[in-house]
Amino acid sequence: MMMSLFNTFESPYFLGFPLMIFIAILISLTMFIPDNNLLIKNQSSMLASTFLKTMTKEIFSPIKKSGHSWALLLMTTLMFIFLNNITGLLPYTFTVTSQLSLNMAMAIPLWLGTIIMGATSQPSHSLAHLLPEGTPMTLAPFLIVIESISIIIRPLALGVRLTANITAGHLLIHLVSLALINLTKSLPLLFLTFSVFILLLILELAVSFIQAYVFVMLVSLYLEENLI
Amino acid sequence: MFSRVIAHSARALKPAEALRICISPSTRLFHASQQCPVPVPRLPETGGKVRYGIIPEEFFQYLYPITGVTGPYVLGLGLMTMLLSKEYYIINSETMSAIGTLGFIVYGVKKYGHKVADFVDATNDKIIADFTEAKESRITHLQNHIDAEKEEQWRVDGKKFIFSAKKNNVAMILESNIRERQLMVFNEVKRRLDYHVELEKLKRRLEQEHLIKWVESNVVKTITPQQEKESISMCIMQLKSLAQRSRATV
Repeated sequence: MMMSLFNTFESPYFLGFPLMIFIAILISLTMFIPDNNLLIKNQSSMLASTFLKTMTKEIFSPIKKSGHSWALLLMTTLMFIFLNNITGLLPYTFTVTSQLSLNMAMAIPLWLGTIIMGATSQPSHSLAHLLPEGTPMTLAPFLIVIESISIIIRPLALGVRLTANITAGHLLIHLVSLALINLTKSLPLLFLTFSVFILLLILELAVSFIQAYVFVMLVSLYLEENLI
Repeated sequence: MFSRVIAHSARALKPAEALRICISPSTRLFHASQQCPVPVPRLPETGGKVRYGIIPEEFFQYLYPITGVTGPYVLGLGLMTMLLSKEYYIINSETMSAIGTLGFIVYGVKKYGHKVADFVDATNDKIIADFTEAKESRITHLQNHIDAEKEEQWRVDGKKFIFSAKKNNVAMILESNIRERQLMVFNEVKRRLDYHVELEKLKRRLEQEHLIKWVESNVVKTITPQQEKESISMCIMQLKSLAQRSRATV
């Protein structure tokens, strides 16, 4: 019996040892990533490889060439988040990306990296982003303060967005499954709830991919701002 | 594994910078050939056979001599019954979630699995086709060059024969000229000799005719009228006898 709805979101410990690291590493690195660079791969590797190539092109075509060295880091992040989100949909699994600790641990270094890169190589250009073009001078002080706050909020937003979306989706799935188990007496309601569950599952699949894509795309946008 | 990840990111940088990053002595960044001297075994075309998507066929084959065909199924059923009745596995909300999720996955794979596989196979085939086409076009291009080169070499070889061909031509023309003139000479000489021959023939003929006429005229002169009459009466008598003989035979 579930004691509370949020039991599944507790970080798992085994004899005092945190298991999150193992789950995070094992799930994403053992599933569906092509571990060879052969020209013609088997179907599973080819699918993952095609997906990765398409995503890389999508995210990195608007970025200047000097930013393409970030491609490996960001695509790894994308695959990591996506696969972890997907595995969280299976029964009795723990989703590591529902933990704020992990998401902040991904968001803050990536964001901070872009900021430091921009600040050290071209400080005036990166500071110029604080004031958009064509603003009247009377609004300038307020706008600069607001823009600085928005820059500082970015890692928080990245982390919390991912956590909140995944947690909310999984929570909804738990709620609907609870409803399902308690509604076995009346068949029409069961079918209705089951169809709701299936729709929710499809939504969660989409959200898993979209959240990963949004995370990486936003980091690439922050990167584009700060590139040489 | 991580060294390969680092090598990947190192490869993204310029070669000079990459060489400055000494990760470990075992990492080779620029491969010119296969890294192992042993021949690499072929990968299997299809994966291992499975029943119901996850249980390998070898499990059923292993139990077949011990329990027969229904053995694994009885084992599975018994296992599930034990787990449920002894409450090792409790049916809760996660069970319904499991039924829904796994049912959805099975439906998705059954319905769209083939299409995805065909798409991936088409991608693979396109890569092979692109490389084959590039190879074939290069081969055709080079073959055309080879043929053109051979033709040029044949043309150069022909240069050796041009002078002897010209000499032969001139010799043939001279020969034909000589023969023509020889024929002309022969015809002229023959014409003259024929004239003399005809002249001799004409003389002979005229002499012959004249002689015959002279002989005839002399013979006619010697015939007397008496001789004429005798010869005519002889002729009439012979004719009468002939007529009688012919009447007798008829």
